[in-house]
Amino acid sequence: MMQPPKTDSTVAMKAGDTLLSVRNLNKHFPIKDGILQKVVGQVRAVDGVSFDIRRGETVGLVGESGCGKTTLSQCVAGLTDPTSGEILFNTGQGSQLGDGDRIDKLPKDRYRTFRRNVQMVFQDNFASLNPRQLVVDIIGRPLKVYREASGSDLTERVVALLEQVGLGRQHLYRYPHQFSGGQRQRISIARALALDPELIILDEPTSALDVSVQAQILNLLGDLQKERQLAYLFVTHDLGVVRHMADRMITMYLGKVVEQGPTETVFQQPAHPYTEALLAAKPDLADDPDKPFALLEGTIPDPARPPLGCRFHTRCPRVTPSCGWEIDDIVRFLEADESLFQSLQGVERRSARDADLIFKDPASAVALQEAMKSSSVPEAMRAATERLTVEGSRLRATFSEVDEVQLTERGPEHFAACKLDHLSR
Amino acid sequence: MTSNLEGTEPPVIAEVRDLRVHFGSKRGRVHAVDGVGFQIRDGEMLGLVGETGCGKSVTGRAFLNLIPQPPAIIAGGEVLFRPRGGAACPACAGSGCHACGQTGGETLDLLKLPQDRMRQIRGARIAMIFQDPGKALNPTLTIGVQMAEVFLQHKSDELLQDAGISADDRNLAANALRRIAHQEDRWLDRRLKRFPPLRQAAGRIQQALDARVAAALAETQIANPLRVMRAYPHELSGGMRQRVMIAQALACDPDLIIADEPTTALDVTIQARILELIKTLQERHRTAVLYISHDLSLVRKVCDRVAVMYAGRVAEVGTVSDVFSNPRHPYTQGLLAAVPRAGARRGHLASIPGSVPELVNPTPGCRFADRCSQVMPACTQLDPVLGSVGEGHSVACFLEHPPHAGAAKIEKALTE
Ligand SMILES: Nc1ncnc2c1ncn2[C@@H]1O[C@H](COP(=O)(O)OP(=O)(O)O)[C@@H](O)[C@H]1O
Ligand SMILES: Nc1ncnc2c1ncn2[C@@H]1O[C@H](COP(=O)(O)OP(=O)(O)O)[C@@H](O)[C@H]1O
Ligand code: SF4
Ligand code: SF4
Ligand SMILES: [Mg+2]
Ligand SMILES: [Mg+2]
Ligand SMILES: [Zn+2]
Repeated sequence: MMQPPKTDSTVAMKAGDTLLSVRNLNKHFPIKDGILQKVVGQVRAVDGVSFDIRRGETVGLVGESGCGKTTLSQCVAGLTDPTSGEILFNTGQGSQLGDGDRIDKLPKDRYRTFRRNVQMVFQDNFASLNPRQLVVDIIGRPLKVYREASGSDLTERVVALLEQVGLGRQHLYRYPHQFSGGQRQRISIARALALDPELIILDEPTSALDVSVQAQILNLLGDLQKERQLAYLFVTHDLGVVRHMADRMITMYLGKVVEQGPTETVFQQPAHPYTEALLAAKPDLADDPDKPFALLEGTIPDPARPPLGCRFHTRCPRVTPSCGWEIDDIVRFLEADESLFQSLQGVERRSARDADLIFKDPASAVALQEAMKSSSVPEAMRAATERLTVEGSRLRATFSEVDEVQLTERGPEHFAACKLDHLSR
Repeated sequence: MTSNLEGTEPPVIAEVRDLRVHFGSKRGRVHAVDGVGFQIRDGEMLGLVGETGCGKSVTGRAFLNLIPQPPAIIAGGEVLFRPRGGAACPACAGSGCHACGQTGGETLDLLKLPQDRMRQIRGARIAMIFQDPGKALNPTLTIGVQMAEVFLQHKSDELLQDAGISADDRNLAANALRRIAHQEDRWLDRRLKRFPPLRQAAGRIQQALDARVAAALAETQIANPLRVMRAYPHELSGGMRQRVMIAQALACDPDLIIADEPTTALDVTIQARILELIKTLQERHRTAVLYISHDLSLVRKVCDRVAVMYAGRVAEVGTVSDVFSNPRHPYTQGLLAAVPRAGARRGHLASIPGSVPELVNPTPGCRFADRCSQVMPACTQLDPVLGSVGEGHSVACFLEHPPHAGAAKIEKALTE
């Protein structure tokens, strides 16, 4: 098979060298409201994320929808500017990455090296492949833009790329809609391969495909990786796919990394209850079919107002008193109780952990006080309540202060952000 | 059907027989569903799996007469249904015979049912849950109003009873209220409502209605039914909307629910909860469910039996434990092997070569022949039919049931 010429940057690098490094990355989207479009808040889609990708490895990125996977991948691909934080890319200047490798500060020629070495494949290939362009133009475009080839040479390069992804010369002059979903994904992969990149970011590349087609695409990606020492950032919500494809994996929840580590380690000994819950919710063909679903309660909280402390504390089955209990937890509790919620007139906050809840009548305040001392709220929440006093129709609640949850080391290359040192099973 | 004779199994309440649904297209006639057959037993959950385009949704929609004609052409077959508590079987007058699967009840062919009968069945006896609840719910009506419609349409007598309204008031009050629920109340209705007797009656019906809607929502573990009733669909999350759909489907306690990929659009954590919910409610109400999905591991987890479809036909059917632990059709085997699992080396998943065939004017022969590693000469000449390979386990493949010359001739004669 014909290999396009190697670019300079790849010569100096070895497998295992850090290729790309994400450091304390933030991407916040303003929430605008009213006719003046005043900014009323921020969605912290990506909130303080750090990780490395090494040459030739696959990093899996998992989490429920809305947790920031797409936003993070687009920042890494250079398609979106982060709000703050750094992305460092090894353009072949030496193996130790530093400030000079920040993609937002690279000189023009090295920035071009970054852009051509980091490519992206999207889930929705209907949207990402121009419906009015022929396959030869879609795949040939990057080669043209980077003046790699033209004329009949370009066509031959495209044919070679098509053959690498299991298509052929007969497909050159067709439009995207003339292909099946799996074939369109092959076209997207061929386009991503055109400039012989170091890293391909795959955002849910097989989520829209049937299992037999998915197997074909995963096999293709595996073969290409071996041939070309490609690194992948593989975004998916399918844990079976992550386990099959990824050397290391990252779990995100509400914009934050909650766990990262070698894939097999994480699967066998998840250190974060959220990863554990994701693993339990996905039925596997190898599981005992009579094993009940392990259910995760509640919904993902509003990302504009993420929970304090550990963001997972509103749903965590293993929650402790020191996980970040706050006044909003009372409000969330009230939302499920129609009559008390109707009676709530306002919340006067001294801080996120200390407030007066004002009701229409004293009876409601007492009713909430009772409820908060009963098993209707989690035991950990009761234990974290420092003060719970009623004065007329006001209830004052105060929760104890706690430290932020940080990622801590759990084993070789294995990190988790949880108050619990280990998860007993 | 021989299986009807086994007295221990629950009765067959629905059966698809040799269903053929074709679509006219520029390139010819697309044989989207081409001889599908399976049975659904009372209270069971039957999975219908297969890749995109194999005809699952069309088959499911046939139960509710929701196949648009044109472009579709119903080219043959029957979709039989025996409502619980329906009229007596005309053949045996209710004592149970072969024609009614020993149920004693009448057997309806849903494909031949007049529109008005179908409307009575839809929602009341057979309900449907779609993949995208956003599309199935009306964006301009509150959840409460939409749910109320189901009860008004199918349970108006019981509602009036709940409200303690005498027979004389029935038509006037019920009709007025129905129009109000559809937000098309007329000037006269509004005037009528001011008459004290009717005002009270309408109030009581509304109360009875609200109570029923709230109870239906509460059954799907919606924490705050009253608030959800006031909400519009767009104000709810995907998981919540799917719960509303389930509540709506279960509202009239149907005999059969067609669930078409009900969790495909949801995250795994929510998916698990919705499935658990469907399973619990199905067991509690003893409702039969046709669960359409392309996710094999989910079907294995929640269904009792499974039918595997390929290119408009059933390739294999049996209990989930038989089909998943001992798949006999090469397609089922390939599908199961393609699921990524722990230990499989990267780049070495077993994958079925090629892709799903185009079903335009197909010639006779096994639809899987051009992808099957064990294809034989007969496979491209004759159609394999489902045949038993074990108790309740059937496969349509010549490896299991070699064609012999006589059978081939007979079959050819029959299909012509
Ligand atoms: N362009 C945007 N403007 C405002 N909010 C956005 C934008 N893109 C994403 N978000 C928000 O950021 C969060 C993360 O979204 P996304 O990265 O798409 O998550 P995922 O890919 O994990 O589903 C979501 O709450 C989403 O609503
Ligand atoms: N409205 C339609 N017009 C034309 N063809 C259709 C229509 N609906 C379905 N089909 C055809 O029927 C086949 C089966 O469709 P469907 O039952 O939706 O498949 P599944 O649900 O298994 O993915 C499709 O491949 C398509 O060719
Ligand atoms: S810190 Fe750990 S135990 Fe506490 S809520 Fe978060 S995940 Fe659960
Ligand atoms: S009938 Fe023939 S082609 Fe079809 S599945 Fe069986 S062996 Fe394969
Ligand atoms: Mg995404
Ligand atoms: Mg479908
Ligand atoms: Zn009978």
